[in-house]
Amino acid sequence: MTQGLRKRMIAFLKKKRIKEISIKTIFFLTAISSIIVIFSIILFLLKDSIPIFQKVGIWGFLSGTRWYPTGSPPLYGTFPLIVGTLLVTLGAMIIAIPLSLGSAIFISELATPRMRAIIKPAIELLAGIPSVVYGFFGLIVLTVWLRISFNQPSGESWLAGSILLGIMAIPTITSVAEDAISSVPREYKEGSLALSATRWQTISKVIVPSSLSGITAAIILGMGRAIGETMAVLMVCGNPTYGLIPSPIWNVFAPIKTLTATLGIEMGEVASNSNHYYALFGVAILLLVITLIVNILASIILGRLKERQQSGSKKRRKISYENSQKIKRTIFSIIAIIVILSLFVNAGILITGIILLILLGWYSIRKKISAKHMQRIAFTAILAAIITVIIILGIILAYIIGNGAGALSWEFISGTPSNLGRSGGIFPAIIGTFYLVFGAILIALPLGVGAAIFLTEYTREGKVTKIIRAGADLLNGTPSIVFGLFGFAFLVLYLRFGISLLAGQITLAFMILPTIIRTTEEALKCVPQNLREGSFALGASKWQTIRKVVLPPAAPGILTGAILGIGRAAGETAPILFTAVVFSGFYPSSVLDPVNALPYHLYILATSIPNSQQAQAGTALVLLLLVIGIYFIAVFIRNHYQKTMKW
Amino acid sequence: MVKNSMIPKNVIIKTEKLNLWYGEKQALHDINMEVYPNKVTALIGPSGCGKSTLIRCFNRMNDLIPTCKITGDVIFDGENIYDPSVDVVSVRKKIGMVFQKPNPFPKSVYENIAYGPRVSGIKDKKGLDEIVERSIKNAALWEEVQDRLHESAMGLSGGQQQRLCIARALAIEPEIILMDEPCSALDPIATAKIEDLIEELKKKYTVIIVTHNMQQAARVSDYAAYMYLGKLIEFGVTEQIFEDPREELTEKYITGRFG
Repeated sequence: MTQGLRKRMIAFLKKKRIKEISIKTIFFLTAISSIIVIFSIILFLLKDSIPIFQKVGIWGFLSGTRWYPTGSPPLYGTFPLIVGTLLVTLGAMIIAIPLSLGSAIFISELATPRMRAIIKPAIELLAGIPSVVYGFFGLIVLTVWLRISFNQPSGESWLAGSILLGIMAIPTITSVAEDAISSVPREYKEGSLALSATRWQTISKVIVPSSLSGITAAIILGMGRAIGETMAVLMVCGNPTYGLIPSPIWNVFAPIKTLTATLGIEMGEVASNSNHYYALFGVAILLLVITLIVNILASIILGRLKERQQSGSKKRRKISYENSQKIKRTIFSIIAIIVILSLFVNAGILITGIILLILLGWYSIRKKISAKHMQRIAFTAILAAIITVIIILGIILAYIIGNGAGALSWEFISGTPSNLGRSGGIFPAIIGTFYLVFGAILIALPLGVGAAIFLTEYTREGKVTKIIRAGADLLNGTPSIVFGLFGFAFLVLYLRFGISLLAGQITLAFMILPTIIRTTEEALKCVPQNLREGSFALGASKWQTIRKVVLPPAAPGILTGAILGIGRAAGETAPILFTAVVFSGFYPSSVLDPVNALPYHLYILATSIPNSQQAQAGTALVLLLLVIGIYFIAVFIRNHYQKTMKW
Repeated sequence: MVKNSMIPKNVIIKTEKLNLWYGEKQALHDINMEVYPNKVTALIGPSGCGKSTLIRCFNRMNDLIPTCKITGDVIFDGENIYDPSVDVVSVRKKIGMVFQKPNPFPKSVYENIAYGPRVSGIKDKKGLDEIVERSIKNAALWEEVQDRLHESAMGLSGGQQQRLCIARALAIEPEIILMDEPCSALDPIATAKIEDLIEELKKKYTVIIVTHNMQQAARVSDYAAYMYLGKLIEFGVTEQIFEDPREELTEKYITGRFG
């Protein structure tokens, strides 16, 4: 080798190394973006809420039993709002848990492959319906039905909120629980069946107990979803003055006000830097803390599950079999007493008596039922659960499509609204949604993909990745309305963007960032390690390997993540409510102009514009078709590449 | 097909013209085979020859695979276990199984053994205690686990786990025990223990074992069936199969010329 050539090579390698280091730095910066975002959210919420804590004290804020910030004197007690949130969530869980677990067991254990291929996407479809469309459905169908069939003055109630939130939590719980159940090793199932257990005995005694922590995490995640939901709850719960707690406490037909609904309703009307404004940020902090606790709980449980799967625990059972049976019995009887009491008060003595008789009868013959009959009963119940879910989905879709189809026309899609949106079209809202989503993905995609590349390619699993992942997880669990408040405080006021397209785009980008990070990470992890090793062995640098070997096969997965993010951003209302939207018919001329958006247009029509039913139905259908269409593209890409790419 | 004076007249389970498909692919071709009570029958042959598939036909474990289709009969107690009127649960109560990889449930040692009796409706504590102790003793595991009955079975060694799985199978008092390469995941010492146990078990039970270890087949079995590409090539007394195989394919395999 000549002297000159060697020098050139050394110079080349040096340049290459500098390039590698700077690329790594860029990826590191994108990776910590989610941590920066979550910290600035906490910072800005705290900054704007401290005055209220100074005024009424943390304890006064939490324990005050009236919420009426616009009265004189103003009242800032969040206790009824907290109770309201908990009650609505509790009701939602009572509805969602049996239906979701039934569906999860059905999908993973009973369905034939062909049935599974239909039912799984159907339940995912429930997750794809935007929350404002749920709220619209609840307002127009559910509350009316409740009012008429239960002879109530109004259907806007705790029960309406719980039913709606229950339906919305079903896909979350079902899919996480189904993953947990499906990941129980096949050996357990075979072992149980080989010991002459029936399928139901195998499910109830081996499969479900083995996946219990996954199922628990699923339920907690569903709870987090229900607690953080804003639009649907806001539209159907009635939102009483003072946020009053139902009286008596089990009156499910009473109106109820949640933390999220309070923010959604009042934030738009409040004067900034008033006490009311500070109080709302206090509510947001509360909401964030509650969802953080719930999500941390879920991730601890899931983390423990992973640990246990990796190494057989040698721990001695702390509670003997007899004692655990005793504990189970005690808990069960306490719950039974509460349920019976509330039934008694609500439904009267006759119905309570009948239900009690049925239960007693069931208990006494339960032990005499053969395993075979037990299986038949259990499978019937599971089948009933999955059929109920499918029927619910059918009703919602049939209603939205049936009513909306009549309103659809070329003029409706391409025209501008007139007469406060009652007639004319929704084109400005479509364009606004398009701008918002396009900008959000433009910001979130490079950040998210960069973060995922850093996490999977540049670091070993350790403290750094743990912290970054925790940041992304926290961001993922943050309620969308909290993003809205943050966007308002930081972008609209602090950075003086005003209510603008740009503020909405950035807020939405923060919201979908964790989705993109996670799906990209999964896509990168699917690329086999030996491809990377093969590339390194040929002398390629890290960045060359990533760019030429890792990214191409991961591209469809990343694209799927981006599309899922687009779908989520297109359907969300709460984050743009105070950052980007106005109810109008004009087109923005710069990113600092406000826009209209489909979900917001629907929200205003449904809640504030009387006699606009046709426009509501049409807007709901267009929004639904748009979001579901986006999801279908994502599912199609995923399935297509799963089939063609096999390692 | 087998002409040997040493073969007893009574048969506990047999297959007649058994064919099996996984989707389009035929995995078993016209298997006719008899299994004799209180003997150990070994299924041998190269990987992919269908021996595991065949053993899983004896307790209908292949039912779990959705694409699996079966024709022909498996006669047990004078009945075809694939007859639609037969309850698969009662078949598995009489024909237990031990798997290739030890698969204890993530429960305590006691709960693992008590699982079978419990799902068969035995509830009383004393009866269960007795069954658990007897089964573990019969599986030659009592000494090692008697004071850790309520600890997780996942904490046992691989060999102990496999004997636990055997004990678990014994607890439902089957007539036949199927063993699908029970030692393939174990070290030589644990393997020796299982082999001793098999010797002991055949006094009370009938054992069918799949193994790809020739020496093991020679050591533990009374009868051996050599399979190749889904067909039963030769069946007979183990000594005869090993010392004087009638089929050329068997001889090639036994002598290590292929497989």
